[in-house]
Amino acid sequence: MARKNTDTRAMIDRYRWWEVMAIYAGIFVFLFFLLSPFIEGFLVSLKPLSQLFSSPYRFWPENGSFKAYSTMWDSVPAFGWYIFNSFLISTVATIIVLLLVVPAAYAFARFEYAGMALVLGGFLAVSMFSGAVLLIPLFRLMRTLGLLNTYFAMIVPGVAFLIPSAIWLLRTYMMRIPVELNEAAYMDGASQFYTFRRVILPIAMPGIVVVAITTFIGAYAQQFIFALTFNSKTEYMPLPVGLFAYFGKQDVIWNELMAASFVGIAPALIIIFFLQRYLVGGLTAGAVKQ
Amino acid sequence: MGQLSLKSVIKTFGEFEVVKGVSLDVHEGEFVVFVGPSGCGKSTLLRMIAGLEHTTDGDIVIDGKRVNDLPPVKRGIAMVFQSYALYPHMTVFENIAFPLRVEKAPADVIKKKVEAAAAILHLDTRLQQKPGQLSGGQRQRVAIGRAIVREPEIFLFDEPLSNLDAALRADMRIELTRLHKQLGATMIYVTHDQIEAMTMADRIVVLNGGHIAQVGAPLELYHKPQNTFVAGFIGNPRMNLLPARCVGTSAAAVTVQCQGQTITLPVAGREGLVGSDLLLGIRPEHVALGRVDVTLRVVPHVVEQLGQQTVGYAALEGREENFLFVLPGTRGIQDDQPLDVGFRAGDCHLFDAEGNALERQVDLAALTAPAG
Ligand SMILES: Nc1ncnc2c1ncn2[C@@H]1O[C@H](COP(=O)(O)OP(=O)(O)O)[C@@H](O)[C@H]1O
Ligand SMILES: [Mg+2]
Repeated sequence: MARKNTDTRAMIDRYRWWEVMAIYAGIFVFLFFLLSPFIEGFLVSLKPLSQLFSSPYRFWPENGSFKAYSTMWDSVPAFGWYIFNSFLISTVATIIVLLLVVPAAYAFARFEYAGMALVLGGFLAVSMFSGAVLLIPLFRLMRTLGLLNTYFAMIVPGVAFLIPSAIWLLRTYMMRIPVELNEAAYMDGASQFYTFRRVILPIAMPGIVVVAITTFIGAYAQQFIFALTFNSKTEYMPLPVGLFAYFGKQDVIWNELMAASFVGIAPALIIIFFLQRYLVGGLTAGAVKQ
Repeated sequence: MGQLSLKSVIKTFGEFEVVKGVSLDVHEGEFVVFVGPSGCGKSTLLRMIAGLEHTTDGDIVIDGKRVNDLPPVKRGIAMVFQSYALYPHMTVFENIAFPLRVEKAPADVIKKKVEAAAAILHLDTRLQQKPGQLSGGQRQRVAIGRAIVREPEIFLFDEPLSNLDAALRADMRIELTRLHKQLGATMIYVTHDQIEAMTMADRIVVLNGGHIAQVGAPLELYHKPQNTFVAGFIGNPRMNLLPARCVGTSAAAVTVQCQGQTITLPVAGREGLVGSDLLLGIRPEHVALGRVDVTLRVVPHVVEQLGQQTVGYAALEGREENFLFVLPGTRGIQDDQPLDVGFRAGDCHLFDAEGNALERQVDLAALTAPAG
């Protein structure tokens, strides 16, 4: 680890001043495009509704306040439910994905068997399908299974879409764990399962956390389209669709909509914040001499 | 306990035969070293003994019991990997304790055994550190510690020192020899480093292309290599091989013509040798300045002054390959100046056209006896 840092340091030192400027300018442009919608969205959530349509348009709020963050709960009383639903759907989907993907990725990383390349290629091919193409067949499937207007309709297809990329990601990570560790454990009499639990799983933890985070975010993002298609019940409605409640008959309560968006992503941010503690790199340092 | 026999052991990967019928008896408590060039099947043979590779044909017998189908733990064997194979998320203590935890040994037994192993390996103060915080030599000792706690009858080492730098390697060689004496267990050690082989082994097994080229004590291989492969592999710099033609034989001597000279060598002759092409071998360190039994005029084009010795690489009339000679100490030898060097007929080796040695008529016991 330490060595890596000094290497990076030395590399930066080798740049000329104008190269450094160019790099920072590039980062700035990138961050501007990435962050400006969030910044403006946040500023909008602070403005009184009347200011939003004033002309000329004002970027900075006047008499800004966090009032919308409390009135949003009155305008849409079910909003708490929407957050809970989103959270529930994403969490359950992530747990199911991890339960299936961790052992599967390990098997794909460690064992060779006939047709493995085909299966892995199949996963890749499936994950290249746009979900939208499959919506109508999926709708019919959900209807036949009687899952429409249930949590399952938003969890099961989501899990199916998230598994392939998760397997690829984790398999690549696990393949970097030296096989000698398995062999050493085998020499010492450890069973396959013991080795998996005591040796492989702890070492793979950073990779598993990355998969958990990307899966959670992916599950959050894909709820919109699944909920829109497979669910019409308010009590199962997740957040992305629930936000439409701020679209009134005549007008949109923009400041509350923006406030609700920020409140809505907070739980996801909290989860990610806690998970990233496990994202320590270099866990395999010292395992084998490369 | 700790006796191992290999009986016509064969290993194939698909169509590719890697170990081609190896038979060997390893005695209890013996330190046996497998040497050979890279890719000759050393690791594969070791992994078959360990139980990490399935044995295609032949028998592996430990203490009189055929173990081909037993998993490693049931063979009473521990292995130290070239890459250490430490568990990076566990402390040194837990790494060493791992085999005992698998056995579900009681905590106080684990503590006692791990601490005993750590004391032998000078790891006492490192027990709470992770492998990533250790130096290469310390990591290697943790790997050895993990092998020791199981108290195996047989230790297997696959090039355990090849990742260490030269100074550390010399230290660890001595440590391992000490450990062997202390534990009294059978050890089988794979290396491609002939210094490790010569210094540590009770017996060396030279492997070449999946076959055993020769088995013997280190000095036996040095003084009586049975073929040109062993002659070239053991000894550094490698033995000079000069083409020669047989002109006469007797039971204890063969006369050859070599580099325009007629030389009679004390090696076992045999019928039908006269007139055939042979190879005369002479080790660089047996070449001296001036005129001896056999004298050659050489032109050294590179001279390496190592302080302790002087190595010359010389062109020899009518030959492409360099003729090497090693002289003790520092000598004022100039490159590109013709020079007379010579060697004794008694130091020569002689090989037939197939590369098999004609046995040298030397008394090995006398050559290897303690100086009197
Ligand atoms: N799992 C394997 N599959 C196919 N070939 C292998 C395998 N393991 C080793 N080999 C081949 O067997 C030969 C001997 O390998 P190895 O025993 O590792 O040699 P060494 O340890 O003497 O360098 C090499 O040519 C290697 O490519
Ligand atoms: Mg090897």
